Amino acid sequence: MKKLSLLFLALLPLSGFAQPSTTGPVPVPPPDSRPDMRRLAYLARAQEVRQWYVDSIKPENPATFGPAAIAAKLVRREDAAAVSARIVELMQGPQSGDMFWMFPWTAISFLGRDQLSPEAKAAIRDAWRTYFPLRGDTENHWAMYYTSLFLMSELHPDDAGPTWFNGKSSAENRAEAKAYLLHWMDLATTIGQGEYNPTHYIGEYAIPMLYLSAWAQDPEMRIRGQMKLDWLLADLAASTLHGVLRGPNARTDDTSVVQRWLALSSYFSWQCFGNTPPPPSYGGFGVWFAVAAEHYTVPEVVHRIAVDRDAPYTQHDLKRTRRRWRYSDELMPLVYKTTYMHRDYAVGSTQGGLVTDPIQAHVWDVTWAVPDPRGVHNTMFSAHPHSSGKVMQMYFTELPDHMIEALASQGKPSYDVPDKILGSSPYEQVFQDRDTVIALYDIPADTRFPHINGFISKDLVNVTEDKQSGWIFAQGGNTYLAYRPLAGFEWQPRLGYKQLPSKAGYKWERVNLGDKGDRLLYSPHRKNGTIVQAASASEFKSFADFQAAINALPLTFSLEPVPTVKLRTLRGQDIAFTYGRTPVLNGRPVDYAAWKLFEGPYLNAEKGSRKLTITHGRLERVLDFNTLTITDRVREN
Amino acid sequence: MTPSLSRFLLRFTLAAGLGFPLLLRAAAPVHDLYLCASINSTSRVMGGGGGAKDGIYQRTADGAFVHRGLNMPLLITLVVDPRAPERIYAAGLSGAMRTTDAGQSWRILTGWDETEPKSLALDPQAPDTVYVGLPDGFIVSRDQGQTWQRREQGLPARGKYTQCLQVDRTCGGRVFIGCEAGIFLTEDGAASWRRVFPATDTVNDIQQSPHDPAHWVAVSQSAGGLESRDGGLTWTRLPGLPNEHALYNVTFDPKRAGRLAVASWTYGLFTSEDDGRTWTNRNAGLPETPRVWRTAVDPDDGRLYAAVYEKSLYASADFGRTWRELPGMEGSVIRSFTFVPQAR
Repeated sequence: MKKLSLLFLALLPLSGFAQPSTTGPVPVPPPDSRPDMRRLAYLARAQEVRQWYVDSIKPENPATFGPAAIAAKLVRREDAAAVSARIVELMQGPQSGDMFWMFPWTAISFLGRDQLSPEAKAAIRDAWRTYFPLRGDTENHWAMYYTSLFLMSELHPDDAGPTWFNGKSSAENRAEAKAYLLHWMDLATTIGQGEYNPTHYIGEYAIPMLYLSAWAQDPEMRIRGQMKLDWLLADLAASTLHGVLRGPNARTDDTSVVQRWLALSSYFSWQCFGNTPPPPSYGGFGVWFAVAAEHYTVPEVVHRIAVDRDAPYTQHDLKRTRRRWRYSDELMPLVYKTTYMHRDYAVGSTQGGLVTDPIQAHVWDVTWAVPDPRGVHNTMFSAHPHSSGKVMQMYFTELPDHMIEALASQGKPSYDVPDKILGSSPYEQVFQDRDTVIALYDIPADTRFPHINGFISKDLVNVTEDKQSGWIFAQGGNTYLAYRPLAGFEWQPRLGYKQLPSKAGYKWERVNLGDKGDRLLYSPHRKNGTIVQAASASEFKSFADFQAAINALPLTFSLEPVPTVKLRTLRGQDIAFTYGRTPVLNGRPVDYAAWKLFEGPYLNAEKGSRKLTITHGRLERVLDFNTLTITDRVREN
Repeated sequence: MTPSLSRFLLRFTLAAGLGFPLLLRAAAPVHDLYLCASINSTSRVMGGGGGAKDGIYQRTADGAFVHRGLNMPLLITLVVDPRAPERIYAAGLSGAMRTTDAGQSWRILTGWDETEPKSLALDPQAPDTVYVGLPDGFIVSRDQGQTWQRREQGLPARGKYTQCLQVDRTCGGRVFIGCEAGIFLTEDGAASWRRVFPATDTVNDIQQSPHDPAHWVAVSQSAGGLESRDGGLTWTRLPGLPNEHALYNVTFDPKRAGRLAVASWTYGLFTSEDDGRTWTNRNAGLPETPRVWRTAVDPDDGRLYAAVYEKSLYASADFGRTWRELPGMEGSVIRSFTFVPQAR
C-alpha cells in the first residue's frame, strides 16, 4: 500500500506566524465587472503565501528554510546566494518524497534559472541522477512524475541516460512523459476525470498543469497545461458553494468529509476565486501553486461560475473510477455524478457502489452554506462502512492480507473501523434528483460491518425526530433538512481521531467530544435506506411548515426482498428506486448511457468529445483538445 | 549507486570470465543469495521517506545480510542473466529495470503503460528473452528489455492480472503464468496462451520441480495448492493444504526430492516430505502466529527459509522442525529469494 496520506500535513512548515487570510474575515470576491481588481487580488493572495513562507524562515532552525521557502525567495528574487548555498546543503543529504520531491525541485529549477549559482544548479541536476523517486501507482502520482520529468528533460534537453535516475536520456524521458500526459488528458476529456473532485488531490493535478503552462517549451504541452488547468478549475468552480467543495469526492479524508472547508481545494478556491478562507498553511501544497501563479490567469467565465449562486442549477458529470486491476469486469467503470447547487445548500452524489477509491471516496451528501465555514461540520449523509481485503486487491497490486492493517499506519485510520463514514461500498446504491437523495443498502450477512452509519452534525439545530412519520428534521444555516432512515436505528456519539506523536507510522486515539461532538445514526439492519430532502428556509413560512410539507409527500417503501422506495419529492418529481434496478424518474428509467461528460448551465461536453464549453451568462470559453484551441467569445443575447 | 553489489558482482564477473578459482571459498556456498526486501516500511506512503532501507540485500560470507542498493520499496524480484552476471533484471513498482554494470546504474526498461510488474523471468533457452507479468497482462522482450510487445492472445480481456510466471527450464518458449482467471500456458514464447487451470482468484506462485521437470506445483488465493504431474497440462488440488485463505508461495527443495514448503500469511509455514501427499505445519519456533510472506530452500544445503512479515528472516537446518533467526533482516518484508550460482 502506498498512497499519499496526510502528506500535506507533514509538509507544513514549523511556523508560528499567523496567516492573514486563514485567520481573518471570510473574503468577499471582487466584483465581476473589475477584472483588473480580480487580477490584483489573485496576485496579492499568491504573494501572501510566499510572504508567509519567507517569514517562516528561522535562522536557528534550518528545517524552516526548506524547498517551499527557497521557491518563495526565488519568486521574490531575493538572497540568491543564500538560497543557492541552502540548496547545495539540502542536496548533500539523502532525498525522499518521490514525485512529491520531483515537482518542487522542478519548480525551483525553473524559478532559479537565472538566479542560482552553478553549484546549486549542478547539485539539483545531480540529484536527478542519484535519487531514484518512485513512479507511483495512481494518476495523481503520474501527473506529478511525468510533468516533472517532461519539464526537467526540456530544461536539460540533451543529457544522456546515465545522467538520469531512470537511465533514460532526456529525449526518452521527454517522449515518455508527453505520451503519458496526452494519454491521461485524453481519458479525462473523453470519459472523465479519474480522481474527480478530490478535496486534497486537486493540487496534484492543478500544480503540474500550471507548471506545464508556465514552463513547457513545447507549445503543445504549454497550451495543454493551460487548458487542463482551466478544465480542473471550471469543475471546481461548479462544484463549490462559497468556495467550499461539495458533494461526492473520489478521495477525501476523515476530517474533510465532515468539515468540508478544511481541504486543499479551499486553497484553490481562495487563490483563484477569493471566496473562502484558505486552510492552515495554505493546505501545505498551496505554496507550489503560488510560486508560479503569475503565469496563469483565471478565466473570467470560470470566476463567475464560482461566485454566482443567484439561481439554483443541476449539473450532471461523467467521471471514472481508478483502475481496477482485477475482480471486476471493467478496468475503469464510469461514475455518474449529480450536483444540485442552491445559494443556501448543495446536494451531490454518485450512483454508489465502489466508486473510484475504496478507502477515501465520499459518495453523497447534503451540505449547507454557513457564513464562516471554519470548524463547521455542515454536512449530512449516510454510508455503509465497507472493509474488504479483496476489494483492496481490486485496486492495488498487492497480496491480500496486509493491506487493511497497513492502511492504519499509513494515515488512513478509519478503513477498518465499524463507525467509519468514509469510503465507498458495493452494497450502496444512490439516486438523486435535484435536492432529494435516496441511498439504498442491501448488505450481505457475511460482510465485515453489516450496518449503516448516518452522519448527524454537531452544527445542526432543531433536530427533531417525528416518531409518527419516521422523518428526522433539522436545520443547518438557512437550510431545512429532512432525513428518513428506512429501518430502525440508535444514536451513537461519533468519535473523532486525534493523531499521536509517532516515529513509526501513523498513530492515533479516538476522542469522544460528548455533547459537543457529532452523532452517528447507527442502523444494524442490512436491508436499509436513507432519504434526505433539503430546501431553503426562505421557501417556507416556518420550520413547522417545512415538516408538514415533507410529511404530506407520498412515500412508500419496503425492505424485502430488496429495498425499494416510491416518493414524490418536494419538487413534485416521482421517484421509484429499487436496489439493483435502474432508478425511474417520472415514469422513465434514468438513461445513464446518455449521460454526457458535462451537462448543466455552466459546463457542457459530449462524452468522447475532448471539448468543454464553459458558459456563464453571455461569456463562453471553449477548451478544444482536438484542435488545442481556447476560444473565448461573448455570445449574443 | 551500489558499489558493494557492483564490486561483488564484478569480482564474480571476473571470476566467471577469466577463471579465477581462488575467488571461491573452499567451504562456502556455491550460490549467492539475494533478497528483494523492505525494512520497516509498511507505514511508508508514496512521497514519504526516511529510514527505510529497501531494495536488494545480499548474504555475506558470515551468513548475515547486507543492503546492496537499489533503494526501492516494493522491489519484487531479481534475475541475473546466466551469461553475463553483471546484467541483472529487476521488477518493482516503477517498472522492469536492468543494470548492465552490476548495479552501479539502473535503467527502467518499461514505459508509462506497463505499470507495476509483478513478475519477471528470462527464458533459460534464450536469455535475451524477458517475460514480465503485469497487473493488466503480459509483455515480452526479445532484446534484453530494449523493446517490448504485448503478448496476450488467448488471455481473457479481464482476469489476466499476472501475479507470477515460470519458464519451463527444459523447453524454450514454454511459460506458465498465474493469473486471476487461473493458470495459463504458452508453448510458443507467448505468441498464444491457453488456460490449463481455471480459477476465480489470483494464482500466487508456480514452481517447477528441480527433480522432475514434469512435476509442477502452484499456490493460490482461494484454490489452495495445486500440482501437475504431466508438465502442467492438467492440475489437481494438493490434498492437505487449506484453501480458505491465501497461500503465498511454494518452493521445492532442490537438494532432496519430495520436500516442499508453502508460505502463508494466515497459516504460517507448511512442509511436505512426501512430494506433497501430506503437509505439516512448521510454525513452532517461529514468531507466534507467523505471517510467512515467502519461503525458499537453499540449493546448497537444503536450509529452509521463512520470511515472516515485518518480523525477520528465519532459517531451519531440519526443514522446519527448529528455527533460528538470521541477522540483518529484522522488521523486513522479503518478496523474493534469488540464488545465483557462483562462478567456478
